[in-house]
Amino acid sequence: MPGGGTGDLRERVALVTGGSRGIGRAVAVALAAAGAAVGVNYREGESAARAVVAEIAENGGTAAAIQGDVSDFDQAQAVVAKTVAEFGGLHVLVNNAGIARDALLFEMNPQDWLDVMNVNFGGVFNCTKAALPQFAGQRDGVIVNMSSMMGERGWTGEANYAASKGAINAFTRCAAVELARFGVRVNAVLPGFSPTDLVAGLLAKDDGRTIKRQVPQRRFAAVEDVAEATVFLAGPRSGHITGTLLPVDGGVGAQLGLGRTNW
Amino acid sequence: MTSQVVADEIYGAVHPAVAEALGLDDAEVTPEATLMDQLGAESIDLLDILFRIERATGIKIEAGDLAEYVQGGIPDEEFGDEHDVITAKGLAQLKKVMPQLDDGALAGKLPATQVMSHFTVANLAAMVAGRAGTGR
Repeated sequence: MPGGGTGDLRERVALVTGGSRGIGRAVAVALAAAGAAVGVNYREGESAARAVVAEIAENGGTAAAIQGDVSDFDQAQAVVAKTVAEFGGLHVLVNNAGIARDALLFEMNPQDWLDVMNVNFGGVFNCTKAALPQFAGQRDGVIVNMSSMMGERGWTGEANYAASKGAINAFTRCAAVELARFGVRVNAVLPGFSPTDLVAGLLAKDDGRTIKRQVPQRRFAAVEDVAEATVFLAGPRSGHITGTLLPVDGGVGAQLGLGRTNW
Repeated sequence: MTSQVVADEIYGAVHPAVAEALGLDDAEVTPEATLMDQLGAESIDLLDILFRIERATGIKIEAGDLAEYVQGGIPDEEFGDEHDVITAKGLAQLKKVMPQLDDGALAGKLPATQVMSHFTVANLAAMVAGRAGTGR
């Protein structure tokens, strides 16, 4: 009875890295609403993580705050082990932890690139490795990687972030192919623009109106939009889907330029 | 349970694990069949087989354990000679875990790289049964 309830993810245990705020928070809440017991991983924001746990508990769900820096291999192992110890298993891993150090290439220093790569891609690699023995041993596991449309397209000032997400996309495809026979599915969600702290810099100028005009749906992704796609990929309704990169972007990725001339 | 009952139960788990992981018919997987040479198992197949056995029996064996088990704790330099051919001491160890080996014919002729090509389904089952017996 990991998370209780009657949702798609009842009897399942999920771990969300970087689950204390932004998209991770929404994913943790949505997974719990679907019935999973959720490990809410955080690196520094203990009070924010505890607030997520409290919110889930108030909604009748089950969650625990799990501290650890997933960019560190040993800590990632500990984060997975703590989740298994807390809830007696692990079935869903959402690799969500991410940072941004946006800068023009002219001004980007090597540490900006390494930090972003270590957290964004390193966290995916480390936690996947940590969860694999559990997943393969039970021949049952789902990994959802939080990527970005930036990993598939270009944007000025995002070279390091986009590269880290592009790495996640390539990793997602390879891991899906390699792990399918072990009963493990691996997919990625690719948000377009979602108004979280992570992209505050991008949206600061003119309140994001210029960017919003480039989104066919003329709105940003709500974190709940991203969370719903994640719950779908984490659950049994996507049982034959693996190795896919699912954009949640209001049509941005489908578009060539602004998509209109005189119309 | 007697050791024979344990061995039979273990073989009952190992046989389907091998057949399913390699996509073979049950009849194709015989105790005498060598996993890599005759059944065509590759590294990822061995991992798959071991995880399937773990799920069926609860006995966890890691891929690295396999080579360690075969070598029996003998240091590399004593297991193989300077040309990486298995020594007499190494061959005596191999005979323990692979009793079917014709050690007379292989003496001084078995390259270290070829050792695992002699490992059979029955050898794997015996290894797993050994783990069950020791509770590891």
